[in-house]
Amino acid sequence: MSHSADEAVGRSETVVLTAPPSPDEIDRNLFMDFLTRKVMKGWMEHEPRPPEIPWTPLRKPLAECRLALVSSAGVALIGDPPFDQEGERRNPWWGDPSYRLIPRGTRTEDVRLYHLHIDTSFGERDLNCVLPLDRAEELAASGELGSVAPTHYSFMGYLLRPEEFLRTSVAAMIERMRAESVDLALLAPV
Amino acid sequence: MAARAIEAAGISTLTLSVLPAYTRAVGAPRVAGLNYPFSRPLGNPGDADGQRAILRAALRSLEAIDRPGGAVQLPFVWPESPAQARGKLKELPPIGKLLQQKPWLLLKFIRGETGD
Repeated sequence: MSHSADEAVGRSETVVLTAPPSPDEIDRNLFMDFLTRKVMKGWMEHEPRPPEIPWTPLRKPLAECRLALVSSAGVALIGDPPFDQEGERRNPWWGDPSYRLIPRGTRTEDVRLYHLHIDTSFGERDLNCVLPLDRAEELAASGELGSVAPTHYSFMGYLLRPEEFLRTSVAAMIERMRAESVDLALLAPV
Repeated sequence: MAARAIEAAGISTLTLSVLPAYTRAVGAPRVAGLNYPFSRPLGNPGDADGQRAILRAALRSLEAIDRPGGAVQLPFVWPESPAQARGKLKELPPIGKLLQQKPWLLLKFIRGETGD
């Protein structure tokens, strides 16, 4: 990757978008097939516009922040129960709402990915493609980031009805993040 | 969605999204957009330099986002054509198979309704 990309983001002329997005912006992602694009646009159009966006200002500079990573790629430690794919096969409108803990220092060979809607081979060849634990450690070691949290998280992102997921899994993740003094959570949906 | 709930609970969030228009539409507090394929938002297996650059750029964008819903587009360009980049699913997901068998359900699916 070229250094110019690094510099481009560091410069103060980074453009911050704040206007409501239009469904046509979906077309900017070149990697979806026609049907997926249609579905995503449909979902955008039918999404009730959230009345208020929650906001917790960062209280510290990044160099003092503790970071936790969250992936929707269905990552689970090999010793832990897999995400439930049989359940989804029986009812295609359903997705497993549970979550898994991924400890700091977890390596690619310690996990499997369980997700029927993505190519799981990338994350299984290199966990950092979906949950960049090693990369976060490097940024902490260089002083750009304060610290890496003891625990990171994964869930399986195909959840047409997310209520149970929010009520159980996300509530539990939040509790643990608070206990571990996490300042910042980075979510990287797949 | 998860980012909103985590933010509401007092922990700042940033969502690195390959579909930033959708992520913004659902009200994520901070979005770093990236025009990359699905399944590997940080880039390719083994490309530690690329992965690090994306993580660094995403975290640096936090400085610029000073209001709820703010979004930044990261400048990375995927080097392959979309056809080359498309990942391979082992098989069609269950919902895909169902919609193939019962195509009239597609409208329901697009509208964000569920079938059961």
